[in-house]
Amino acid sequence: MGATASHLGKDLLSEYQELTFLTKQEILLAHKRFTELLSREDKNLPDPRAPTEAILTLPELKSNPFRERIVRVFSTSESRDGLTFEDFLDLLSAFSDSATLEIKSHYAFRIFDFDDDGTLDENDLEKLVNCLTGETDETRLTPDEMKQLISNILEESDIDKDGTVNLSEFQHVISRSPDFVSSFKIVL
Amino acid sequence: MSLQSLRRGASGVAAARQALDLWQGTMKEVGGSFGSSVLSYFLFLKSLLLLNVFSFVINFSFITVPMLAYDHVPHVPPNVTFRGLELLTGAGYFRYTVLYYGAYRADSSTGLVHYNIQLAYFFTIAAYMVLCGAAVLYSMASSFKMNYVLSDPVGGGSWQLLCTWDFSVTNEKAVRQRKNNLRIQLKESMSERSQGTSLTPAEKMRHFGIHLGAWFISTSMAVGCGNAIYYLSQYEQQVIRLDWSPAREAETLLVPFVVSLINLVVPLFYSLFNKFELYSSQRRQIYALIIRNVILKMSILGILCYFWVNECWESMVGQALYRLVVFDFFFMMLGSFFGEFLSKVIGTRWIPGLGVPEFDVARNVLDLIYAQTLAWIGIYFSPLLPVLQIFKFLVLFYLKKVSLIQNCQPPRRVGRAAQMKTIFIALLFFPSFVGSLSLVAYTSWSLTPSRFCGPFKGLDSTFSVVVVWMNSLEKVPAAAWAVWVYANVVRSEIFYFLVTIIIL
Repeated sequence: MGATASHLGKDLLSEYQELTFLTKQEILLAHKRFTELLSREDKNLPDPRAPTEAILTLPELKSNPFRERIVRVFSTSESRDGLTFEDFLDLLSAFSDSATLEIKSHYAFRIFDFDDDGTLDENDLEKLVNCLTGETDETRLTPDEMKQLISNILEESDIDKDGTVNLSEFQHVISRSPDFVSSFKIVL
Repeated sequence: MSLQSLRRGASGVAAARQALDLWQGTMKEVGGSFGSSVLSYFLFLKSLLLLNVFSFVINFSFITVPMLAYDHVPHVPPNVTFRGLELLTGAGYFRYTVLYYGAYRADSSTGLVHYNIQLAYFFTIAAYMVLCGAAVLYSMASSFKMNYVLSDPVGGGSWQLLCTWDFSVTNEKAVRQRKNNLRIQLKESMSERSQGTSLTPAEKMRHFGIHLGAWFISTSMAVGCGNAIYYLSQYEQQVIRLDWSPAREAETLLVPFVVSLINLVVPLFYSLFNKFELYSSQRRQIYALIIRNVILKMSILGILCYFWVNECWESMVGQALYRLVVFDFFFMMLGSFFGEFLSKVIGTRWIPGLGVPEFDVARNVLDLIYAQTLAWIGIYFSPLLPVLQIFKFLVLFYLKKVSLIQNCQPPRRVGRAAQMKTIFIALLFFPSFVGSLSLVAYTSWSLTPSRFCGPFKGLDSTFSVVVVWMNSLEKVPAAAWAVWVYANVVRSEIFYFLVTIIIL
């Protein structure tokens, strides 16, 4: 590969430009921020992997309720821990301004699927709601409210009534919500 | 090879645009703490600013520079000097400078190059309007395409609330607040659903009665204000015609003062009505608010426009618009003070129950659209008005940013940012741009230019400049294609029909 950790080759840069939705400047900025996350030894490796803890210190991800899920979803390692530079670019590309609705809804589905089984069942939905409403005891919903909310959600989106929301049902709901594309955005 | 270079060219343009991105750090900061709906206001402000910069550049280079090159000393009568009051009233000394239509003269040809100021004036303004129209139309079309869902989605939308979590919010406190708000909204939507939305007939009648009452009051307020402006303008016309002393000049400030005061105070009343009326959805509430505000502002502008026919009337109109723009600026600053700073002080110190105010995106965007409408109307009468507008928007950006961060909290209700953006752009186009375009078109087509000043003096209508030019072009064989275009396309109704179809 034509990239050392400190400098991105021109061919690689244009290749990345074609494969992702990012512009040249965004890729260079991403490279700069990524190398800052690496430890000194890792910088000399051919294809370094930034550890999850380092990635979670990025200000753009630090306060995001889904930060750990995001890193897990985009990680290509066996243990789903840590991102290479190309994983990092995939992440930024999916969250960029120019990414399409299909890409965003696909990744949103994977992020919300907490147990990685390909569908959103009641446990996933419960974890999703807790993620977004608060983790402490006083801010959580009561078990009754949670049950009510989950049954409302399933009523709205579960078309084949199998008790779970699969990818196409999810994408169907998302397509009716024009705010999704502008909210699902992270920019460095 | 050429396709690749085309693609490289396109990405180069995108990269260049990003490099020139103004205020990117500020936008990120605002978006990180307040979310995308407040960010959309600042993006809107930035695009209007760029529009005005563009307008200034072309007006200056095509109209003002040749005029200055020809005759750079303004023809000021001997007893008029520059006093500070001009900055406010736009009259007096400024009247004779290139700020206004009156200073441009048709008989301008320097020794080397014959430059037809009349044509330049007409075509520059026409080209600018066309380009503006195209730009606004394009952004409206792309916005509609992305957000084509204009009707309310099925159900209470708790799923929608969850899925549209704003990932661009990066401030820790803001995230916590959003989680709080989301929890409250989820509980609300759940209780709404369990209660059911069926009201008893008596309650329905009551709601209907309240709505009717509110609409009646707001329309009558708009009509009342219109009448007040009418009588005030009549008074001004009768009195000012007589003499032109400084005291009288200060009196010309009365109309813009009253107009801006109305524009500031009455919308606050409209917002107050919202507290009494109960709307079935938040979106209908915002629509009603927007419609009432638009009725008020358009009726005032309409009455003012009706009044402006005078001797060397174009410059007078230009001055009146200048004054309106200046006062609108002052009152926007005042509005920021009252709306945000005072509300915060009241909410935190005196009546703690009220809390910190939210940033009212709808009202602020409507103010921006109104300001831009004034500029668009004024551009025909005062080519350098964009300078004032640029200054105004620059100051407003920083003022609003500071006020936002110091005084406001993020909006409580999550969502609907994209649809709001579509509505705002549509509002920008329809009443605002089309209205000002038709006004300018009416002026140039039908009204006789005043006899003693300006580049079009002595002609029957402004458009006859083009007719004369076309006739002269017929003698030049090389320009035959231009004549053909003019004769067949511009004159034919089919062209306009096609344009209308394309737009729709």
